[in-house]
Amino acid sequence: MVDPAEQDARDRARFEELAPTLVEPLRRFLARRTDADTAEDVLADTLLVCWRRADQLPDAPLPWAYGVARNCLANAERGRRRQQRVAARIAVVDPPQASTAGPGHDAVTDPDLAADLDAALAALREEEAELLRLWAWEQLTPAELAVVLDISANAASIRLHRARGRLREELAARKDGRAAGHEGTRGRSSR
Amino acid sequence: MTDDPQHDDAQHDPELRALLRGADPAASLPPADPARVARLLEDVMSKPRHGEDSSTTTGENRASGTRGRSPLTWLVAAAAVALIGVLGVGALLGADDEDDVPTAGDAPAVSGDAEPSVTRLEVADAPAGRCMVPTPEVLAGASLAFEGTVTELVDGTAVLEPSEFFAGRSTDTVEVTAPSEDLQALISAVDFQVGERYLVAADGAQVMVCGFSDLATPAQEQLYAEAFNR
Repeated sequence: MVDPAEQDARDRARFEELAPTLVEPLRRFLARRTDADTAEDVLADTLLVCWRRADQLPDAPLPWAYGVARNCLANAERGRRRQQRVAARIAVVDPPQASTAGPGHDAVTDPDLAADLDAALAALREEEAELLRLWAWEQLTPAELAVVLDISANAASIRLHRARGRLREELAARKDGRAAGHEGTRGRSSR
Repeated sequence: MTDDPQHDDAQHDPELRALLRGADPAASLPPADPARVARLLEDVMSKPRHGEDSSTTTGENRASGTRGRSPLTWLVAAAAVALIGVLGVGALLGADDEDDVPTAGDAPAVSGDAEPSVTRLEVADAPAGRCMVPTPEVLAGASLAFEGTVTELVDGTAVLEPSEFFAGRSTDTVEVTAPSEDLQALISAVDFQVGERYLVAADGAQVMVCGFSDLATPAQEQLYAEAFNR
């Protein structure tokens, strides 16, 4: 039987060691998915859960922490959407956040392509789009995706594979659609 | 490209990944001020940690947490049994017919601005039974557990706005209804009051009463924290 005080000290040390490495990635994770105020609140919530569950923090804590952040964000978003519904009775609601909102550094500069990407992601099922975001933005491997989403690594691989295929299809369809709309079409794109 | 999903990673489609990365909304986000991060972590660590060392006190907490309720209330509460469909959950489950069976405690992806989802729990007649003392172990088996505030008590229905789900699929609202005669029974069992915060659990579509679902008192919060490892 471990002395509780000793265990507590150990958990505390573990959190102190790992938490600083989590803050920045979690901040970015949240900045990609919600507004600044919500992101700040949810970051604090997420860290609090990590703190309370410090004894469960895996050695590679980030994917696990993303999973926690996802849950915290889902809870916060529910509250926010509720507030929005209330607000809708007296005012115009904010439009939903575009999936590629925000000024980018070397962002997609071709406006057509940016619009296509936006529309293509929006056309995917939310689970697929999120899988792709986690893959491209958080740069997770299928094994890490599996931890975040609490699914098997095998399922993560398969779904990522499928989601990429769907995104390519959606992008190609949009590109073709635009090409067909232009005069002097360059023929159907190969991708 | 090969179609072996087992070896599917970044190497596989660098172009697509780079394209997506170009649309990363956080790309221009400057790093956080280290002083702020330090303050944030300090703040978090100043909060109490639940979990360890508290299992032995739970019984006492629960006992004191349910004081003042008459045995009759518990008996009536035991008679309250839910039947019904969890409509919002059904819709969510039906939305994905693939290999992912949702697990308890796993919040679903919140997708878009679809219709507000509702979980409906109904209370019906049932033979009276005995109440057991609520324990985290039993509570942990609940298929649905959430914290929510009662926004309306109308026509046999208590409408709750959940703030957090501990288990089960989350929905925007949860409605607990009962046949007219039993409503008072349900309400007195769970003490639903507009504006108050509750911790509610259900087994299947059946509301767990007998102290499992109650006002969000510190004792009740402790019970839920232990059951769901918060």
